[in-house]
Amino acid sequence: MQEARTARALPLDDLKRIVGERNVLWRAEDVMLYEYDGLSAHATPAAVVFPSTTAEVSKVVALAVRTGLPVVARGAGTGLSGGAVLTEDGLVLGFSRMNKILEIDLENQRARVQPGVVNLDLSLAVSDAGYYYAPDPSSQKACTLGGNVAENAGGPHTLASGVTTNHVLGLEAVLADGSVVHTGSACWDHPGYDLTGLLTGSEGTLAIVTEITVRLCRKPEAVKTLLAIYDAVPDATRTVASITARGITPAALEMMDGFTLRAVEEATHAGYPMDSAAVLLIELEGLSEVVDEEAGHIECACLENHAREVRRARSAEERDLLWRGRKNAFGALGRVTPNYYVQDGVIPRTRLPEIMEFMEDVGRRYRLRLGNIFHAGDGNLHPLLLYDKRDPDQCRRVTQASAEIIARCVELGGSITGEHGVGIEKNELMPLLFSEDDLALMRRVKAIFNPEGRLNPGKLLPTGKMCGELRVQASAGG
Amino acid sequence: MEAALTASFATLTSVLSEEQVVRDPAACAGVAVDGLAPQCLVLPRSEQEVAAVLRFASEQKLGVIPCRNATKLGFGNTPRRYDIALSLKELNRVWRYEPDDLTVSVEPGMKLGDFQRFLARRGLWIPLDPPGGARASLGGTVAANAQGPLRLKYGAPRDMVLGMRIATTEGKIVKTGGRVVKNVAGYDLGKLLIGSYGTLGVIVEINFKLFPLPAHRTTWRLAAPNLTQTREFRRALLSSPLGPLRTVTMDSEAAALVSGHEHDQAQSYEIRVEFGGTETVIRRSGEMLQSMARALELSETTLDGASAEAAWDRVADFESALSSVFSRAVLVKASLPISAGEQFLELAGLEAAKEGTRTACLNHSGVGIVYVGLLTQEVRPSLGGVTNSLRKAARRLGGALVVLRSPAELKRDIDVWGPPGDDFDLMRRLKEAWDPQGVLSPGRFVGGL
Repeated sequence: MQEARTARALPLDDLKRIVGERNVLWRAEDVMLYEYDGLSAHATPAAVVFPSTTAEVSKVVALAVRTGLPVVARGAGTGLSGGAVLTEDGLVLGFSRMNKILEIDLENQRARVQPGVVNLDLSLAVSDAGYYYAPDPSSQKACTLGGNVAENAGGPHTLASGVTTNHVLGLEAVLADGSVVHTGSACWDHPGYDLTGLLTGSEGTLAIVTEITVRLCRKPEAVKTLLAIYDAVPDATRTVASITARGITPAALEMMDGFTLRAVEEATHAGYPMDSAAVLLIELEGLSEVVDEEAGHIECACLENHAREVRRARSAEERDLLWRGRKNAFGALGRVTPNYYVQDGVIPRTRLPEIMEFMEDVGRRYRLRLGNIFHAGDGNLHPLLLYDKRDPDQCRRVTQASAEIIARCVELGGSITGEHGVGIEKNELMPLLFSEDDLALMRRVKAIFNPEGRLNPGKLLPTGKMCGELRVQASAGG
Repeated sequence: MEAALTASFATLTSVLSEEQVVRDPAACAGVAVDGLAPQCLVLPRSEQEVAAVLRFASEQKLGVIPCRNATKLGFGNTPRRYDIALSLKELNRVWRYEPDDLTVSVEPGMKLGDFQRFLARRGLWIPLDPPGGARASLGGTVAANAQGPLRLKYGAPRDMVLGMRIATTEGKIVKTGGRVVKNVAGYDLGKLLIGSYGTLGVIVEINFKLFPLPAHRTTWRLAAPNLTQTREFRRALLSSPLGPLRTVTMDSEAAALVSGHEHDQAQSYEIRVEFGGTETVIRRSGEMLQSMARALELSETTLDGASAEAAWDRVADFESALSSVFSRAVLVKASLPISAGEQFLELAGLEAAKEGTRTACLNHSGVGIVYVGLLTQEVRPSLGGVTNSLRKAARRLGGALVVLRSPAELKRDIDVWGPPGDDFDLMRRLKEAWDPQGVLSPGRFVGGL
């Protein structure tokens, strides 16, 4: 890497000319922060630049082409698969200055935004008018829409309303040669190949998105939040299937195990029961009478599956508190462990009881503490493996345990990642899901957009440098 | 030329059995595109056979068009060459059906109507009402990202496909996506195939997300005297807390075509809205709809179950209703901002009137998709000009327009897809990467891809 740095001289003056002196960071103490994202620390950027327009992004990329420097786009750096960090010497394009909502068009249920807009800020901007932006990753207070598009982000409320890709109509993007293209449109159909759909979830390896047209949704008339409390985990997981069998699709259907909710309760005092084995957090949206009716059915499903108690949030405050607990759960677990590693496997939702049992067994065999908090409604698991990274033996056990869990998800017909992305965390695991022919086609598509690997190198596709390994370099707790 | 082709078709029978390669002229004429009939119709029975046919066509540089029930063969530019009709009729099996997980894997030749009947046994459905209706195949529906007014509530095929298997022109089978409802592993190559009109690869298996059938459904029919009223109604409906399954607005010609009899109130518009869910949803939606109608002085009635279902099928299959009466009609589809639908309907009427033609307009008013039929019994070259004016209008309003149906003679003067955008070079390179010999539906797609 040291050699690379000398070979690729940093064009500092040119960068300053493009974005302005104040918008380039290059001193070691300034760029160090950008080694990290939600996954872990990686290469130190040669410089971090903060463009304010598409034209500036384009010029920076063109400059990177001339100087042979890799480029990675970065929103808030909340990603959990290493999408926003460099794997080698290069430039980080920070989008914190491109954070404007450019247009809100309520009659046409859409908004045009710059990629640095924070997810929640868009919903807040249209909230009074009765609209919201549906995908709501747990990090929505910090994460940006640009990052959401790159990772095809999900969130608890995507169960009924779909993930990011279902809410993006069109994009403006800068290609690896610095040219600017527009994909899709501001309408629901656009003739031609669906490049918007291809770019969404491509983890910054095909293009750098500079403008996004998203759909806005009408807020429901009523929202009802239920908390079902269980003395045994299998009762909670079986409830999920019972709810689906009743033909009800809740807006959100989340599960937390006892260990996790005790940590959450201690951190947020949301009102979660300290002595239960598991809870389901269920949210219903729609017409007020209908939501009441469905709440009754859900209550039945929970009680039939031996829920100890089903509580209904009585006020908006109570509801917010429950959700705050859920969305801050990773942070809460961080208080009780030096480090943790979050998984993101997916299984068909009917296999939940089985995978929970499997994970318990894995925890026992590897002598690891596991917390479970996840999107039960769509089978997207987030086991958190607690450990201390100063202990090499614990690191080894966490890696092996995670690999076993992921392999089991795939065996059950699932996926290695539901919403966090592949990045540098799971790129060597892609062969678990895809054949050499499948991957070859992905490489061919990548070569069209990013032939020299200039954009976000080393991500998403296997590099062949590691042998089918999971890259566990987990987040620090606290 | 002919002799060389005969020789190469002999090679094809080494890939497929004799009875799977149909050279009967009548059968070939049945799958003609813009008057161009293929040399043969092949009927592969497995994904490997589909892949083998594609590899053969690539080696021989023959033009291949995938098809099933020919509901969409009129879409697109006239093909540059067309040697083989690749029928997916024999690929109509359901592989993995997991009703409790609300997922299924199914082959592309399955007809939508058959599939819905199969799913309904467990109270499920795939909420799509594309052109072609029950006759449309799942493969064709996905390849065209075809949808109807149900898109308002449920989205398009692109929102329901979890993964697929694709036969490539190299003769390989590749997989994209998966079978679970949430998955971000790898590039979403399926998105490229959805809406690619058979120009990149042939879809041989589709994994769908399924939905519970609404327990009850009601369709309301409202009569509106003018477009101002339909606009006001659309605004009221879409900004209300009601979540209708679908809604359309039809001009009197479209309403007549869809209902199969003369529409009595000339110059008026008909609105249809369907609600679905529990009895409570139906009752509450009905009450709110009636109060909206009263406020706008629109008369309203309900359609009962079976006749409503049939009526929606005819709305979905608007093209058939149109072409059965006006065999030489031109049909265009504009995708517009939702707010521009009414204005476009008005413009369409004016532009057509300039050429002495009437229109039948169907606005999927919840989603900004407007179908305009130019009603004629003979080929009228002047309709090319009308089409171009309509495209200009659609683009001015921030949308796009494609020609769905046109007599082959007119296609020389009509730009079916409209001018491509600045992302066309990427599309061209994607096409080259997937189909280097240019054998799949050659020339039929955007920009002549």
